[in-house]
Amino acid sequence: MATTTEQVPDSVRHPMRVTWDVWTAMYLREMIARTMADRMAWFWMIFEPVATIGVMIFIRTYIRGGRNITGAEFVPWMIVGLMGFYLFREAMTRPMGAVEANRGLFTYRQILPVDPVLIRCFVEGMIRSFIFLLFILIGSLLKIDLIPDHAFGVMMDWLSLWMLGVGLGVLLSVASGLVPEIGRIVKIITLPLLLISGVIFPVTYVPVQYQQYLLWNPIVHGIESMRLSFFDSYHSIPGIDMTYLWFWALSTLTLGLVMHVRFASRLKAR
Amino acid sequence: MIEIQNLYKRYHGPHGGDWVLKDINLTIPDGVSVGVVGRNGAGKSTLLRLIGGMDAPDRGRVIRKGRVSWPIGLAGGFKGSMTGRQNVKFVARVHGIKKSLSKLIQEVQDFAEIGKAFDDPVNTYSSGMRARLAFGLSLAFDFDIYISDEATAVGDRSFKAKAREAFQQRVDHASLIMVSHGEGTLKQMCEAGIFIDEGKAHWFDRIDDAIEAYHRASGLITDVADEDDEEEIPLEQLDADTLKVQLRSLKREMNELHKQQIIMEYRLETTADEAEVAKLQEEKQSLRRKHQLSRKRFKELKQHKQVSA
Repeated sequence: MATTTEQVPDSVRHPMRVTWDVWTAMYLREMIARTMADRMAWFWMIFEPVATIGVMIFIRTYIRGGRNITGAEFVPWMIVGLMGFYLFREAMTRPMGAVEANRGLFTYRQILPVDPVLIRCFVEGMIRSFIFLLFILIGSLLKIDLIPDHAFGVMMDWLSLWMLGVGLGVLLSVASGLVPEIGRIVKIITLPLLLISGVIFPVTYVPVQYQQYLLWNPIVHGIESMRLSFFDSYHSIPGIDMTYLWFWALSTLTLGLVMHVRFASRLKAR
Repeated sequence: MIEIQNLYKRYHGPHGGDWVLKDINLTIPDGVSVGVVGRNGAGKSTLLRLIGGMDAPDRGRVIRKGRVSWPIGLAGGFKGSMTGRQNVKFVARVHGIKKSLSKLIQEVQDFAEIGKAFDDPVNTYSSGMRARLAFGLSLAFDFDIYISDEATAVGDRSFKAKAREAFQQRVDHASLIMVSHGEGTLKQMCEAGIFIDEGKAHWFDRIDDAIEAYHRASGLITDVADEDDEEEIPLEQLDADTLKVQLRSLKREMNELHKQQIIMEYRLETTADEAEVAKLQEEKQSLRRKHQLSRKRFKELKQHKQVSA
C-alpha cells in the first residue's frame, strides 16, 4: 500500500505555499458552493439584484415621487448606487458566517479561521463585479446609458467600496465569532444603512446643515464618488473624500486581522 | 517525532474551567505507535487534538517533526451540498496535491467502495458511507504519524476488517497515536502507552503496562466492558408495565438457567476426566447461584406486584 499512496509534497511546505494551497482550494470550493450547489443558485444571484432594483425604482417612481436627479439619469443612477451598496453589504455580512460555516474544516490544521473569511470577501467581490459588468452589458443593449464616463475612476471607487466592506467584514467576523449578538445587530442595521447612505434618495435632498453628519458615514463617500465618476455632469454634496473611506477601510481591516491573530484559537475552539 | 513541552490546556466554559492537562512533558519517538488510555473526560481527545494541531495549548508547545495527519476517519470537514468527489478534491488541494490528484481520487474511490454515490452530495450519504469516505481519504495520504480517535469503530463488519488491515499496513512504516477503549485493538496496534490521569500524562514503554496502570487507578482489575451489568432498579421505583416486563424476562432467564443446569448434570455424569469434572462442578455452582439470585428477585417482584395490586 505504501507504494500506491500519495506523498504529501515536501513535509515542510513553506508557510506561504500552505496558505496559497488553502486559498486556492477554498476559493474553488466556495465558488462551486455559491454557483452550483443549490438549485438555481446562479439564477438567483443575477435575478435578485434585478428584482430589488426594480422594486426600488417602482417605489421611487410611484410612491415617493420625483425621478429627477441633477445631472444624471434616474435609472442608471439608482443601479450604480444599489450595486455599490450591495457590494459593500455582501462583503461585510457574508464573512460573518464564514467561521461558523467552516468549523468542520479546522480539523485540517492548515486552515485558519481567517482563511474562509478572506476567501468569502474575495468571492463576493468577484461575483458582484461580474454581475455589475453583466448589468452594464445588458443595460447598454437595452439603451439604458450605463457606460461610465470615467471608467478608471469607477473601478477605483468600486475597489474602495469593496475594501470598506472587506475591512468591516474581517473585523465583524471575529467580533461576531466571539460575541454572536453582534452578528444579529449588524444584520438589523443594514437596512437603515441603505437609507442613510444616499442609495435611494439623493443626499442633496438632505438640508445643508445636516449634510455634515451624513458625511460621517464612509459608505456615502464611496457611493457618491462612484456616481461622480460615472456621470460627468452629476452634482453631489461638497466634502466627498475617498481618503476618509480608505481610513475606515484600512483601520478596520488592520484591526480585524490583528484580532484574527489574537483570537485564532478561540475562534477555532468554539 | 513529537515533542510536548510544558503543555497546559483548559477550556473556558461558563463556570471558569479547570486545567484539563497540566504540565505535560512527553517525547514520542519516531516509528513507535502509542495508545492513549484514561477514563472518559480525562483529556485523551484533547491531547490528540493538540498533537494534531487542531487546537492551541494555553501554555507550552508541541513540536511536530514529520507529517502529522488529521484524526483518521473524521468526517467533520465534508460539505453536505457537495459531492464526495468534490470534497476529496478539496482536501487534496489543501494538502498541496496537484499532479497526482486524479490518482488519489481513484484510490479513495476504490477504498471507500461506495460506487456511484461518490458523485452524489455528501448529505445524501448514510453515516456508514460517510465513514467509509472519510477513512479512505485519510489513508490515501502518506503521513509519518497518523492520529486516531476511536477510528476503527465505524462501518460494517467487512469494512472494519478492511480498515484494520489497511491501518496495520500503515503502522509498518509510519507511527500511530490512538485513543481507544478497545483494549484488544490497543494491544494489537500499539507498542507504547500513555495513561492520562488527573491532568497528568504517564508514559509507559509497553502498552500492557499503561492499561494495567489505568485499571489499577480505576480500581478495576478485570475488564468490565465485557460484562453487561444491568443495575437492579429499587422496587419502589417500578411501575406496573416495567414490572410485568421484568417478571417475564426473569421467568425466561430462570427457565434457561434451569435447562443449563440439567445439561450440566448430564455432562458431569458422562465425563471421566478429573480436571474436566472440577471445572464443570465450578460452572454448575455458578449456574446454581445465578438461578437462586434470579429466583429471589422473581419472588420479590411478584410479592411487590401483589402488594401494589
